[in-house]
Amino acid sequence: MKNVIVFIEHTGGKPRRVALECATKAREIADALGGAVHAVVLGKESNGVAEQLKAYPIDKIHAAEDPDVDAYVVDPQVDYLEAVVRAAGPSLILVPYTMIGRDVGSRLAARLGAGITADIVDLAVAEGRVNCISPKLGGLTITTCTFKSEYGVAAIRPNSFKAQPSPGAGEIVTLTKPAGKAYVMKVDDEVVEAAGEVGVEESSIVVSGGRGVGGPEPFKTILKDLADALGGSVGASRAAVDAGWIPHSHQVGQTGKTISPKLYIAVGISGAIQHKVGMRTSGTIVAINKDGSVPIGEFADLLVVGDLFQIVPELTKALKATAASHT
Amino acid sequence: MKILVTVKLVPDTNADKRIEPATKRLVRTGVETVLNPFDEYALEAALQLKEKLGGDSTVTIVTMAPESGKEVVRKALAMGADDAVMLSDTGCEGSDVYGTAYALAAAIKKTGFELVLCGTQSTDAITGELPGALAEFLGVPGLTYVRRLDVDGTTLKAERETDVGYLKVSVPLPALVSVTKSINEPRYPSLKGIMGAKKKTIAPLTLDDLSLDRPIGSEGAKTELVALAEPPPRSKGKVVQVADGAEGARVIVDFLREKKLI
Repeated sequence: MKNVIVFIEHTGGKPRRVALECATKAREIADALGGAVHAVVLGKESNGVAEQLKAYPIDKIHAAEDPDVDAYVVDPQVDYLEAVVRAAGPSLILVPYTMIGRDVGSRLAARLGAGITADIVDLAVAEGRVNCISPKLGGLTITTCTFKSEYGVAAIRPNSFKAQPSPGAGEIVTLTKPAGKAYVMKVDDEVVEAAGEVGVEESSIVVSGGRGVGGPEPFKTILKDLADALGGSVGASRAAVDAGWIPHSHQVGQTGKTISPKLYIAVGISGAIQHKVGMRTSGTIVAINKDGSVPIGEFADLLVVGDLFQIVPELTKALKATAASHT
Repeated sequence: MKILVTVKLVPDTNADKRIEPATKRLVRTGVETVLNPFDEYALEAALQLKEKLGGDSTVTIVTMAPESGKEVVRKALAMGADDAVMLSDTGCEGSDVYGTAYALAAAIKKTGFELVLCGTQSTDAITGELPGALAEFLGVPGLTYVRRLDVDGTTLKAERETDVGYLKVSVPLPALVSVTKSINEPRYPSLKGIMGAKKKTIAPLTLDDLSLDRPIGSEGAKTELVALAEPPPRSKGKVVQVADGAEGARVIVDFLREKKLI
């Protein structure tokens, strides 16, 4: 494989940060392989997103502002991406390790006869081959995988690379619609329940609540306030999700999401293995718990033992005061 | 309606897993094998659909697992599935997402289906990439992350989760659907179910039965493990007992400042 093709996930007219992280890393990998970087941006507002991508080190930006991409689930995206990939020849395809990225990537890989790797936190080129590095078994072991196929798909965990603007050739190419396709998974309606919220996978700061928070209310009040003060998102342990206090999309852990934020604040979470595997690769871990002997104390960078209902609001207040004194 | 549910056997979610340094393989002794928890939601969704549709609807479990996993498959039958198809072959060992999806697709086509239900991901590999690849090999629409589903004649109506809410989607059958944990609360097997499961059929399949046109297992894998490394250790940090909220806040703010996080 020679070229690197980045599938750009975007929302609200802007590329998602993970797309920019991938675009930045793609340059390094393509340079090592002696190839080019392509980006593929599809669906509504694609032309605007393509313009914004010019700030990143991409050679060719392929765009298709085709209404079918949003009117039908996944298939149009796979078809467009496949067309770009086949035209580019043997290549590494980067998709984000998100709901959409996994979906597009897995279908594309099956179609191309390509290997696919998951939850990749680093990429490197050695002897002309692309190595994909991923923590497995909840960070128990770090695996390095490579491809035996001429095409390879790597699903990249958000927050793994730094997004660094540095303009490339940035040639924008308008894609023509793949011929002879009939789409059937029709979107009848789109329902937005939490507008503007960034998912826990993508946040660089996550404030999670567990059994210790005692009910649904604190997720909407004290934890949400703290997350807002830090510019982060609210996560949860399995216990809290199973109790119905917060939707499953917020769950961090083995039966939820595996994340690597810069800062993880675990509130009222004991840190059982099921939770640990979802967050142990976080940059810094702070825990707040009334019990000083909880398992999370064994791997948190800081465990504050006290009443979370007192500490969390005070912490929010202190952070707001700090922010105010800097402006 | 003929409903198939894919099931994976995984090490117990609550077990503290470890790697044997010499063999670089997961230590499985002393760790119980269970149904992948995510697959229980798919099975529950299948059972509810069968109950609703009535008539001659059936629920069949499809799995790729060593024969030793038979007793775990019985648990799925005890929950209420009618029968199971079990692909057991040493030639499957070492399969990656591609090979697993390819072989499972062949087993599913051979069994016949109108709807295939999958869990979102497995708790051991956590790739979340099997349903998409499987749909592609089956050549049917593949709708993932479904939190609600209903069948109206030959159309499936579903709610697909997104980061900010959900999409209402219609899909013609046959199709593949993967479901999230939000869809239901899986039932526990009843005593009657457990007794009945002993008499249900687990049809064995081998790779010979599938006449695949390409190798799977290690030989057919499109990815290759080149190295396993120990993760950087995560050591015990500071533990600070605080008297009140203000002190707790101060300790955390100082710490975050020291780490240059604020």
